[in-house]
Amino acid sequence: MSIENFLDNSRSSWMEGEGEHSDIVMSTRIRLARNLNGFRFPLAFTEDEAHKIDQSVSSTLLDADEELQKNFTSVHIKDVSELGRQVLVEKHLISPKLANSPNTGSVLLSEDESVSVMVNEEDHIRIQCLFPGLQIQQAYERADTIDRLLEKELPYAFDEQFGYLTSCPTNTGTGLRASVMMHLPALTKTKQMNRIVTIISRLGMVVRGIYGEGSEALGNVYQVSNQTTLGKTEEDILADLQSIAEQIIQKEREARDALLQHSPNTLEDRLYRSLGTLSYARLMTTEEAARCLSDVRLGIDIGLIKDIDMSILNECMIFMQPGFLQKYAGTTLNATERDMFRAKLLRERLQKGEKDNTKGEEPA
Amino acid sequence: MICENCKQRPAKVTVTQVHNGEHFERHYCEVCANSLHPFYVEYKQDPLSLHQLLSNWFNQADQIVQQKQQKTLECDECGWSIERFLEEGKFGCASCYESFRPHLPQALKRLHNGNTTHIGKAPGRLGEKIALKKRIEAIRAQMKQAVEQEQFEDAAKLRDEVKDLEKQLAGGGDDSHVD
Ligand SMILES: [Zn+2]
Ligand SMILES: [Zn+2]
Repeated sequence: MSIENFLDNSRSSWMEGEGEHSDIVMSTRIRLARNLNGFRFPLAFTEDEAHKIDQSVSSTLLDADEELQKNFTSVHIKDVSELGRQVLVEKHLISPKLANSPNTGSVLLSEDESVSVMVNEEDHIRIQCLFPGLQIQQAYERADTIDRLLEKELPYAFDEQFGYLTSCPTNTGTGLRASVMMHLPALTKTKQMNRIVTIISRLGMVVRGIYGEGSEALGNVYQVSNQTTLGKTEEDILADLQSIAEQIIQKEREARDALLQHSPNTLEDRLYRSLGTLSYARLMTTEEAARCLSDVRLGIDIGLIKDIDMSILNECMIFMQPGFLQKYAGTTLNATERDMFRAKLLRERLQKGEKDNTKGEEPA
Repeated sequence: MICENCKQRPAKVTVTQVHNGEHFERHYCEVCANSLHPFYVEYKQDPLSLHQLLSNWFNQADQIVQQKQQKTLECDECGWSIERFLEEGKFGCASCYESFRPHLPQALKRLHNGNTTHIGKAPGRLGEKIALKKRIEAIRAQMKQAVEQEQFEDAAKLRDEVKDLEKQLAGGGDDSHVD
């Protein structure tokens, strides 16, 4: 598969709206940080070292068996246009750091985009698995399979006391970062997020908004992940995240019920206004789009809005970002042009989504 | 005063950096200070010097000063000094862990909720080795107990078992499993 396939397609398997609790948990991500013995870490290494690392990781993965060879595509960052790099970042297939390492970075992408192995990011190897919905165990098992495959051939930097040795001491030990991306509009609207963030951070977990820079999470999407990687087994880290995610899901559901009970008309009005905005607006900023998409998503989840498919919303969250818009437009756009083009794409997509879904359905 | 970084929140933390003998003072809010300098931030009213910060960090005021006078702690492999590690908050290579080993538990403790030792997965053959070591430790404990209870026959058996396992560990004998 060529890199163009990854860039043209705004959908990834993690956006399919499957998996457990997919009304609240958008995706689950597992990341393992690994390094090879005998080479300095990317902060300190030479391009020659980088090249050798890249060669041995790529060949190990691609030569492992035919399945994987067919499945994985190796992409060197230097061969991807700047816009292309931005698109890969917006799809969460590579990190911004890797996108900014054009001379040394590369990535191995699986065809369904659920696995990406970043080479020479902050660490020599970063195995990432991205699954739809809440699938912590499944995503970990996938990452673990790749990890075992690599460790059979490659000498990992490992220490009996400190575990997997990583460039940043915040990853030392298991090198495992497990995270879930959650859509929490009701907890946000009822102003409970601050309290939840405080409690969660006391439990050794981190919450942050994943889109946008400000303190407010764009589109009410938050990422919850483990903070500590040392002194806990992989199983415990995963189990703790699972349990915290389930508790947040529970709280979000309660908050949704409360909203529906207290002010059903106001809520319905607000959610449909957002759908109206998405369907007819001519200029749309990222912030407004994210807010409206969040409302519509909530409307679908609680059964108020019926004729739009959830996976379309996940896709909209991705392609409304600047890199994707410009990729679609086939040209660079200034901010106003982007707002215009964004409004147009969202309009078209939502109308198409409505048609696709009502096709073959009995009229209500 | 407003935080230099986000220019939003009030600055509460002063970080003094020493670069080529020159002192730079930076004023950050707690949020930015934590994300920019997770390693040597202390919440105190008075600005702290790098020296003070480092010594608080290690809890061994004298040692750092001594090291300054003699020779700074450096990694043989990548040449990074421990000061550079603290400044960047990153290691230069895997050998840095070995070079700075005595100081690391202190540092890691802060980041990992008081933990300093890995108990998770280990790569293949090394993982087997570690498992073997743990088994030997467990049997030694049993042996000690047997001796205390004057069950010398059992103790002797356990001792032989330990010997076998130790041989296995030293030789890396992968396929000779002793039960
Ligand atoms: Zn600040
Ligand atoms: Zn080093």
